[in-house]
Amino acid sequence: MKKSLFNKDIIFWGLFVVVFGSVPFLKQSDYHLMLANSILIWGMFAVAFNMLFGVTGMLSFGQALYYGLGAYSVGLVVKNYGPSLFLPAIGLGVVLAVITSILVGLLVIRLSGVYFTVLTLAFGQLAWQITFRWYHFTGGDDGIQGIMPSGVLENHTVYYYFTFVLVILAIWFLRRVANSPMGLVLRCIRQNPERVRFLGRRVRRNQLRIYVISSFFAALAGGLMTGVTNSIHPDMFYWTTSGEVILMAVLGGIGQFFGPFIGATVIIIIQDVVGARTEYWSLIIGLIMMVMVLGMPRGLVGEIRGLKARFAPGRMSRG
Amino acid sequence: MSRSKYFCVMALALVAALVCSIPVYAQEKIIKIGALYPMTGRAGLYGLDSVDAAEMAIEEINSKGGVNGYKLELTNTDSKAKPDYSVMVAKRYITQDKTHFLFGVVSSAVGLALTEVSKQYKKIFIGTDHASTQLTTDKFQPYYFRVSNNTFQSMAAGALYLKELQQTKPWETIAYIGPDYAYGHDQWQELKYNLDRFGVKYKSVGEYWPKLFAPDYTAFITSIINDKPDILVAGFWGGDTVAFIKQAQPYGLFKKTLYFHPDAGGNYELMSAMGSELPEGLVLSARHHNNWPETALNKEYVEKFFKRTGRYPTYAAEGAYAGIYAIAEAVKKVGNPDDTEALVKALEGLKIQLPEDPEGFTSYIDPETHQIVQVQAIGLTKPNDKFPPAKMMLGDWKIYKAEDLLPPKDYAERLKKK
Repeated sequence: MKKSLFNKDIIFWGLFVVVFGSVPFLKQSDYHLMLANSILIWGMFAVAFNMLFGVTGMLSFGQALYYGLGAYSVGLVVKNYGPSLFLPAIGLGVVLAVITSILVGLLVIRLSGVYFTVLTLAFGQLAWQITFRWYHFTGGDDGIQGIMPSGVLENHTVYYYFTFVLVILAIWFLRRVANSPMGLVLRCIRQNPERVRFLGRRVRRNQLRIYVISSFFAALAGGLMTGVTNSIHPDMFYWTTSGEVILMAVLGGIGQFFGPFIGATVIIIIQDVVGARTEYWSLIIGLIMMVMVLGMPRGLVGEIRGLKARFAPGRMSRG
Repeated sequence: MSRSKYFCVMALALVAALVCSIPVYAQEKIIKIGALYPMTGRAGLYGLDSVDAAEMAIEEINSKGGVNGYKLELTNTDSKAKPDYSVMVAKRYITQDKTHFLFGVVSSAVGLALTEVSKQYKKIFIGTDHASTQLTTDKFQPYYFRVSNNTFQSMAAGALYLKELQQTKPWETIAYIGPDYAYGHDQWQELKYNLDRFGVKYKSVGEYWPKLFAPDYTAFITSIINDKPDILVAGFWGGDTVAFIKQAQPYGLFKKTLYFHPDAGGNYELMSAMGSELPEGLVLSARHHNNWPETALNKEYVEKFFKRTGRYPTYAAEGAYAGIYAIAEAVKKVGNPDDTEALVKALEGLKIQLPEDPEGFTSYIDPETHQIVQVQAIGLTKPNDKFPPAKMMLGDWKIYKAEDLLPPKDYAERLKKK
């Protein structure tokens, strides 16, 4: 079983590398590169978020706080000290996110269920308000524009591959965590935290760990995104950003490790294809979500795995 | 089906979707304009009006044979007023759809984000309805042009109005209420700057900063009544003006203090939303008025818009209408829409007769700042039911010369230092 899991992982990685690695060669315009880059970054964000939600059962509605923190660290550093500090600024963003997530995490993990969700939302909105109103420092609702990476990263293809490698490392790391003994404890926490305590494992410590890890990658996503859109805006802190990542995870399937990545891909492509033709794209997303929640509660990847089990007699679904 | 297979399917779906998203264009000579107006949410009406007016202008031009054999074509994508999404779409317009011009935008934040894209890709961006002065001062870049007034111009006209008022009806104290975001703060700073510039003596007795789209203004209204300003300057945007006036009226605020709203207050949106409830004697202005100037061009424009859509236009519409004509004029001068540098030269100083130009004046684009230079008219609300559902329109106009409203040369430097 372990071996087959390993094989499948190899196949996934192979496909992932081939599809995303070939975008710069197949693209018809810079726009495709940008679209693929957004998919990679949002995909990483969604997978990291799902470690919290799907794996540990902690529905955070405030991951935008870390995404925004990552983005604004880069934006403010580049604006005030020049683009040569683009990379160190991404580092600064994730460090700040780790510190903030430890402080915020110590407070929020004391609650569970809807109380946890509401408190994370409150922290996210607090950060949004501060960014929105602290006009002289953050640029207020105008945001900050013209954030360009420096040196070789200025080249769009180089920046794409830079993101690509980081996303591979991030997903590989998160996959390792999910399959580690810690990942097992996290799943147990989702199902029965009391029992985990009885088994002699620390629930809160593990919850805090995964909260910090997830926030780390949210900030990395925010920082990397600034290099794609070259501008930042307080909306990055807004609850709709957290909502979007939840949507991606649910659409792809929260019970599957790679589900949120597929969810991110589908949502970004729908936004692009439908958004280019009609302003009613949100209606389409709404309808899809309705169908998903009512008819396919396990998400795209989950349902496909379910189908696979149904049409392969004698095989059990692990979904 | 193994997991590898469904990842194959997913990958194929991705590639298929990417290929499907490539639009197919007919092989005729087309000037492609990529617009980004919000079509949903609070700013949705502005987007709707802008797209209707732009399409109206395009039909007018195309029905006369287009420009130098080129037909104009507008594609609009709902910007959702989100800068990051708008940047993605703008890059798609430029790199994939091979659009010649970026166009539109209601939100200044989206405008600021897009001007960077325009600079990066050296594509002309025609701004039609965002008022942030920054775009034509400290954030200025050579490929950006704006065809509607900015807040500085409105506030300069406002300061001149207040200066004249002081001579006929002496006032001393002033207060400001505006939404607590960049647009609200900019207006107050610019008004104070212009009052000082024109040597107006005043005492500020209060500043009130409600949130954008705040539902309840009661606390602010009672504070204003306590502070007793002679003039209340307002910097609200969109539906907020309607909400504030409706809530302030029962307190008799407009009998005690003069309501003065020179940037967006005179928008037709307010008149149509409030009907006969709109108090008389408010001092308002906007970037275009349906009943001023009374030129044939303005009358024709308003009537045509009404016939087409069944509603009278808000000021946003005229900005978009002007933008299309500016593009057509520039392409006419250059001969093709591909030579961006020549188009920039053609747009610099371009003279263009617009519905909002009074007799004897033609709007022109300032070659240095790329900001359109226009006359501003400030009026008082008066009964007038010629533009239903509005029962009040502006009248008793005071007109301010375009050249008096421009920022001084050192203004951009001043902003940069801040």
